[in-house]
Amino acid sequence: MRRRDVPGLFDSYTVAPGTFDELFDAAGTPRPHFTRLAGLLGVQSREDFARFQALAERALLNQGVTFSVYSDARGTEKIFPFCLIPRIIAATDWVHVERGLEQRVRALGLFLDDVYGEQRLLAEQPELRQFVLGTKLYQPQLRHVRPPGGVRIHVSGIDLIRDEQGTFRVLEDNLRTPSGVSYVMESRIITKRVIPEVFEQARVRQVDHYPARLAETLRAVSPEAPERSTVVVLTPGPYNSAYFEHTFLARTMGVELVHPADLFVDEEKVFVRTTRGPRRVHVIYRRIDDAFLDPEAFRPDSLLGVRGLMRAYAAGNVALANAPGNGVADDKAVYAFVPDMIRFYLSEEPILAQVPTYVCARAADRTYVLEHLEQLVVKAVDEAGGYGMLMGPQSTREQREEFRQRILAEPRRYVAQPRVELSSCPTWDAGRKQVAPRRVDLRPYILTGPQGPWVLPGGLSRVALREGSYVVNSSQGGGSKDTWVQREVA
Amino acid sequence: MIARVAEHCFWLGRYLERAESTARVLQVTGTLALDAGLSPEQCWMPVLAVFGERARFAGLHGAAAEGDGERVQHFMAWEEHNPSSLLTALSEARENARAIREVVSIECWEAINEVYLWMHGEEGRAEFAQHRYGFYRHIRRAMQLCLGLFRSTMLHDTPLDFIWLGVLLERVGQTARVLDVHHHAFQQLPTGQHQVVETSLWLSLLRACSGFEAFMKRHQGRVTGDAVAAFLLFEPEFPRSIRYCLKSAHRYLAELHPPGTQGLPGARTEALGGQLLARLRPEVLTEPGVTIHGLLTDVVDATAAVCDSLSSEFFGSARALGSQSMSQ
Repeated sequence: MRRRDVPGLFDSYTVAPGTFDELFDAAGTPRPHFTRLAGLLGVQSREDFARFQALAERALLNQGVTFSVYSDARGTEKIFPFCLIPRIIAATDWVHVERGLEQRVRALGLFLDDVYGEQRLLAEQPELRQFVLGTKLYQPQLRHVRPPGGVRIHVSGIDLIRDEQGTFRVLEDNLRTPSGVSYVMESRIITKRVIPEVFEQARVRQVDHYPARLAETLRAVSPEAPERSTVVVLTPGPYNSAYFEHTFLARTMGVELVHPADLFVDEEKVFVRTTRGPRRVHVIYRRIDDAFLDPEAFRPDSLLGVRGLMRAYAAGNVALANAPGNGVADDKAVYAFVPDMIRFYLSEEPILAQVPTYVCARAADRTYVLEHLEQLVVKAVDEAGGYGMLMGPQSTREQREEFRQRILAEPRRYVAQPRVELSSCPTWDAGRKQVAPRRVDLRPYILTGPQGPWVLPGGLSRVALREGSYVVNSSQGGGSKDTWVQREVA
Repeated sequence: MIARVAEHCFWLGRYLERAESTARVLQVTGTLALDAGLSPEQCWMPVLAVFGERARFAGLHGAAAEGDGERVQHFMAWEEHNPSSLLTALSEARENARAIREVVSIECWEAINEVYLWMHGEEGRAEFAQHRYGFYRHIRRAMQLCLGLFRSTMLHDTPLDFIWLGVLLERVGQTARVLDVHHHAFQQLPTGQHQVVETSLWLSLLRACSGFEAFMKRHQGRVTGDAVAAFLLFEPEFPRSIRYCLKSAHRYLAELHPPGTQGLPGARTEALGGQLLARLRPEVLTEPGVTIHGLLTDVVDATAAVCDSLSSEFFGSARALGSQSMSQ
């Protein structure tokens, strides 16, 4: 269907059939919260827009807003592909998302407290018990260790998708070291610079106070008084793909960025090596996986990490964000149990929907999965980044047979979900110099201090840049968009 | 501040200063070669000697190529395996800045990153091919912009002190080597050469140290080899003279290790800097057996000792320095 009432940029935009489009309805009319912007953005000619887009990319490159590419020995950095056409979320939709995320994070926090405490829910659900205690993500030595400040999930990024009806559904909980928030803020800066007239009219909620809120959240869990506390960001170093983000967080919070070798532990207290001798550290926002935190506790073979860090943590002398051992709650199999957690710990019904999940360890689920491989997406529970997946509807007979064998051999390792038609959003196709629908997801960021969770009004909209693709991961050719959460009109 | 960060600050300052200095020497030599009446070897060999790269250059291009200004410039601008090339210096400067991205201000980082991307992209190559003078000027300005931005956009505390120590100690080494090599080369010129040629050589040396106008103000047009050498060694108010840089560097060292401080690192470095400064008086040249060459050699060696001591006292010796351990 051709659009004639909006000239310019969206002229030949056609909503992909069977998909919920974020900005246009099925008839091709801008959704109510997008009407004004469709006018403002729509009058741009494609040539102008191509120039804006190039300006934005150039600015990202000059500022070094990049991620490192592992495969390249010289440590090449690339910008995360960025599309200047924003993804817009209506104020009313956001209220729902915000409440749902707060509820979910509270329940997940209580679940972690329970897992590392009394294990009440595990006693009631033997199946869940098997998932939680049987994974290497569970840290038995942390049982009965209460984290400083009582918080475990200081920072979370909970991936959401929208289905064919436009219903937000949780796809994945990231409770360990979720990345990407720096791109949210950097792309906002670029957007304001490149298309200020459009942005000005858009009534978008701010995101740039995130670093200050994060610093406050981190100081709030310090074992020392906040004003006397030293907070640091711990990075594996410049070769890590998310290094830009680590430097961004340290820089915008005004705290030091440290490498493991900068830290040491003495008498169960953590110190940083400075030009004036050792200085005590109280809070570590660590961007290193559990396994590499402390060679003494986790990987004796590892040269990385800070020896004795876990003893200092267990003694309550240092706060670690996020708490070690959180991985047991964002496991793909445990995901299936989150609605139960919400009911169990909060006595509430879940506000946010999630994707129906078949747990292959259950006999009935397994039978169903094996009979419907062609319609399902099968995921290995311990792999990330879109690896170890079977996309049933697009798979070959051989691939399905391979997964059938894998599931039968190790049912505990697999879950399956019906394929959800991810919503799409108008996206700049640089090759064809035109706007086309591309699938998106959304990663909002939630900070939790002793007072409870707070949701950043915005998030990282990841977009599958290839036509027809559902894969939005940056490691597999995805890009990003600025997410504009609309301010409520008074 | 974190010891590792101090080390990156120091090397960031050094590489920025090194790139600026290299670009300036190449730019000045290119101009000199036009009308100085010298052979190409007499112009370009000293450039390689200043950076201590004669052997590496000869290995790649043969010693005979020392008279080939294009090859020398290409080697000093683009050669990846030349630790003194502009390409290497800019890459190292950026690598150090990236390692302490949370310390350098966004303006400084952008300035460093942009010139790095320019150098590594088509624009830099095109400028080198089409407008050589503009190419060197671009790099010099970018480096000067960075140094200026450090001063005007960063907190004036320890990280900036270490950056500035890097700049100053690198500058001491550069000035000493430029002066030494040229002084030596000019002494070798056949006697009876026209006074005009000799004067223009001394002037080009001053330009290679950004000191032409400052020198003229001090000496009102009277140019002699000894006056130029004394100016670059001792002039208390010229920001690239060896004594000026050492005195400033020593002030930073004294701040890091204030008198009477016990338990803080830096005592040995501060003492080494003080000793060198004490030896560096104009009268010393009248002492028997003291030559300009001898004095400059002493400066280069003693400065290297200060840098080594700085490294072991402040940066922690456990860490392998890798490519950054390259001494002057």
